Amino acid sequence: MKLFVSGRPAWVSIGLTLAGTALFALLPLWLSPYGVRVGQLFVLAAGLAVAWTVLGGFSGYWSFGNAAFVGTGAFTAALLQLALPGWPAGSAFALALVVAMLFNGLLALAIAWPILRLRGIYFAIAMLGVSQVCFELVSNIDALRGALGVNLIDIVPKGVRPERFYYWALLLATLIVVLVAIMVRHSKLGYGLLAIREDEDTARMLGVPTTRYKMIAFVISAMLTAMMGVIYAHNLGYITANSVYRGDFNLNVIVYSLLGGMGTIIGPIVGAGIMTYVTQVLLGDLLDTHMFITGLLIAVLVLAAPNGLYGIYDNHRLRMRRRKQEAQR
Amino acid sequence: MTLQTLVDGLVLGGLFSLAAVGFSLLFGVLGVVNLAHGAFVLIGGYAAWTLLDRFGIDPLLALPLIMLGMFCLGYAFQRTVIQWATKRASLLASMLLTFGFALMIRNALVLVYSPDFKSVTPSYAFDSLSFGEVTVGLTRVAALLVSVVLLALLAAMLRFTSLGRTIRATAQQEQAAALCGVNIRHVFALTAGVSAAFAGAAGVAIGLVMPFSPPDETLWTINAFVVVTLGGIGSPAGALVGGLILGVINTMTAELVGAAFPNAMMFLLLVLMLVVRPAGLLGNSFKGSR
Amino acid sequence: MKIDRRTILKTIGTAVAMPAIGRSAQAQATDTIVIGGSVPLSGRAAETGLNVNNGYLAAQKFINEELNGIEVDGKRYKIDIRLFDDASDPARASTLIQRHLDDGVQFFLGSFGSNIVLPTAAIVERAGKPMMQTGGASDQIYTQGYKNIFCMFPRASRQLYNTIEYFASLKPAPKSIMFAMANDAFSKTLAEGAIAFGKQKGLPINDIITLPENITDASSLVNQIRGKKPDVLLATTHDQNSLLIARQLISSNVDVPLLYLSLGPQLKSFRDALGNFANGLFFQQFWDERSPYKDAIFGSAQGFASYYGKHFKRDMAYHTASGAACIVAYVHAMKAANSLDPAKVREKLAALDVESLYGRIKFTPEGDGDPLHLGSTVGQVLKGNAEVVFPEASRTAAPTYPAPTWAQKRG
Repeated sequence: MKLFVSGRPAWVSIGLTLAGTALFALLPLWLSPYGVRVGQLFVLAAGLAVAWTVLGGFSGYWSFGNAAFVGTGAFTAALLQLALPGWPAGSAFALALVVAMLFNGLLALAIAWPILRLRGIYFAIAMLGVSQVCFELVSNIDALRGALGVNLIDIVPKGVRPERFYYWALLLATLIVVLVAIMVRHSKLGYGLLAIREDEDTARMLGVPTTRYKMIAFVISAMLTAMMGVIYAHNLGYITANSVYRGDFNLNVIVYSLLGGMGTIIGPIVGAGIMTYVTQVLLGDLLDTHMFITGLLIAVLVLAAPNGLYGIYDNHRLRMRRRKQEAQR
Repeated sequence: MTLQTLVDGLVLGGLFSLAAVGFSLLFGVLGVVNLAHGAFVLIGGYAAWTLLDRFGIDPLLALPLIMLGMFCLGYAFQRTVIQWATKRASLLASMLLTFGFALMIRNALVLVYSPDFKSVTPSYAFDSLSFGEVTVGLTRVAALLVSVVLLALLAAMLRFTSLGRTIRATAQQEQAAALCGVNIRHVFALTAGVSAAFAGAAGVAIGLVMPFSPPDETLWTINAFVVVTLGGIGSPAGALVGGLILGVINTMTAELVGAAFPNAMMFLLLVLMLVVRPAGLLGNSFKGSR
Repeated sequence: MKIDRRTILKTIGTAVAMPAIGRSAQAQATDTIVIGGSVPLSGRAAETGLNVNNGYLAAQKFINEELNGIEVDGKRYKIDIRLFDDASDPARASTLIQRHLDDGVQFFLGSFGSNIVLPTAAIVERAGKPMMQTGGASDQIYTQGYKNIFCMFPRASRQLYNTIEYFASLKPAPKSIMFAMANDAFSKTLAEGAIAFGKQKGLPINDIITLPENITDASSLVNQIRGKKPDVLLATTHDQNSLLIARQLISSNVDVPLLYLSLGPQLKSFRDALGNFANGLFFQQFWDERSPYKDAIFGSAQGFASYYGKHFKRDMAYHTASGAACIVAYVHAMKAANSLDPAKVREKLAALDVESLYGRIKFTPEGDGDPLHLGSTVGQVLKGNAEVVFPEASRTAAPTYPAPTWAQKRG
């Protein structure tokens, strides 16, 4: 797992991302509505996982509470729309999205300084705590309507099938997330974050402004997560605290990264694809054993491929290179 | 009624302590965060229910038996699964592994016992004790006693026996302990066994006091997190202090702020505590923080 | 035995790739009526989910095996109920509902919990297919203007009208009523509807307490009761929490003359867990197998109960009966429409007014159950059995009020 220097330049990654997105954008034309909905789940999962990676994957600060931003984003948007009745759907959505992202950015900024002093498992626990506090407050303060639930305005344009619309919306959001992640990865910030992951104390000694870098990454990660959350909430149409502050958002993003390859950008996307396919398609029909199989799968993955698929690919590449060198000798 | 609230809180806190101490030990000694801990707690509860319902064995009598069984389970779990994961991958990855196991155990419990809640009700389940103004259910008193006695035993074991010394030494300096001839793998597995045994005991105590169902496993894992962060990792005393404080805060919040808010308060405290004093009230942070 | 990482990975790889191809089951074969939908079989709601599930399956089994299917437009059809587990995850539920739609399923059954039912209902509504459900009673579902969503229960805010009427008829009249509501959409609207109606009736509703959705400790509630000594406590809580509240009240020796737990005592396991202490508890009773209802399929309520008892191990709950009634309602509507066109069946469902094992099935224009015919009665546990005690017309036993104290039951 010493992927210290990225193999390809930023513009190649961006090009590949755009090409991949274009390909995915065309898929609904062939897929059945069900296929499109599975696609939605995949794109959502990928977006959330890459947003998590900006902090967790690059800097090694594993957040166990990203549901905090999914949920708070969704509820900020929903409550704002409730407070602004009669606005046209498009502008109400846009405003809610922007406000939700800003609010979550501020929330992240507010908790960043104390929480990011914690390392390793303590940071993970603290984030779990943050997501639980948000959940409890939203569910139990009547004005926040977490228990009764809120309806979100319908933003689907006439003539477009809603599952396609939200697929594209989520895809666009995920594209933004991935592009931001690539830019972070290839900037000075990105290298700083990798340095923090490898050895934070040394990094600081060598002049990396660790605190500032971690905070920036945390805020970016929170805002991107909130963006995904707002669109997810609109897709559901009606949310309660239980539907957005879901424990599986917290842990699944990590599963995706681990499966695909921690610290990479393609890793979480591949991981999200595989897990979505397995849990929603393969195990969709199983009535009371799908949770067992999901658990088993996670356990086997950790045991058999601790560095994810990317790790396997990396090893393979390494072996090939060695073989080539030996042949040349 | 404040005295009553305080007593209620302490009784509840006793349960929290017992349910967290195993988690704390594993975390402190091995650095492994066991997300399947709550599931282990429930296994204990279901075992108590089965023994009472099928064989008529009183839960308090069944307690040693259940602890023994859970000890073996924990030992095997460490030697086979967790050890493999910690060796090959990171400690954080082992956390994910245990999450996978939590899902599996939860699902298995649903399949074996149905999703219905179960309630362990021995003949004395509805009796109560009164001390002046204060009334407490008998099973709650029993649960509190069980947890205090067991925690004291564990503390004594860690402090005075050679096994306890070995465990503490391993927790502090793994390599140095190994150099002194400690069989680290064995000690780790023993610790995991003790951890699981206490989870099982907590399950019995919880079963005596409240109905439970498979989804509750999350609750007990998260509670263990909070207790451990409050009290400090790796010691029975830390778990006891953390648990009791948490219990009192729970009932006090319900009384003073509103019945809906204990959980919010609990997690708020968790975050604050981490920020102010991440090592917990009694300090003593081992591996996890490094 | 050598299991290395490579073999494991390879095996997983093949196992995962294989079944990708195998799914193209054409739902609407010639002689079956496919009814799709989801139930929560894992997660918090699994207990009720399983009861509903068994109700659906019992009706399917009876219709297919005992009646050899149903006849619509001169042709015999068997019923094929296809359910999946939504795990109380709204995204999973919507995705899998869409799969049923794509597979050509024309009729739907609903899940449990308004945050699941609403998103799936929106999809089904848009596709113009009917959905019969018995797990989403929150008011939010019936204020969306949906035309195709029908529920066996009245919306939550109207469910406790009979209960309030009963409180108003109590002699001696209660001096103080306390409400405790769990903090979820259903329990909250249930309690708020009852409180509004109760205040209108002039009942002395003095205390309203909100509890968390899941509780590990009810001591604060117990202490409040100890301090305020209400004559009536109405708790809108789910089964497990209700049991915890009851157990803590008993073991703290705190008496309430009328202890009403909306969900819980209707279950046999609940009554068994409390033994003699269960006697005297009040609850929301939707259905009793001794009710004199005639049913076109099962013969009677009793007929359904005995058939279910013979073929299923799990105890009967009213959700089982209401689940079966969903299928019965479909059958009536299909026969009345004499067609399997979902729009026509929907028309007939909306116009339905028939007696069934579960009572007279009739829906409001918004789709929830008619509060008069499908509303709840007041139940009380007497001699270990769940009895109906109010309204008088349908009572199976006379209520005991005030209920005996815990101390009396101990003796």
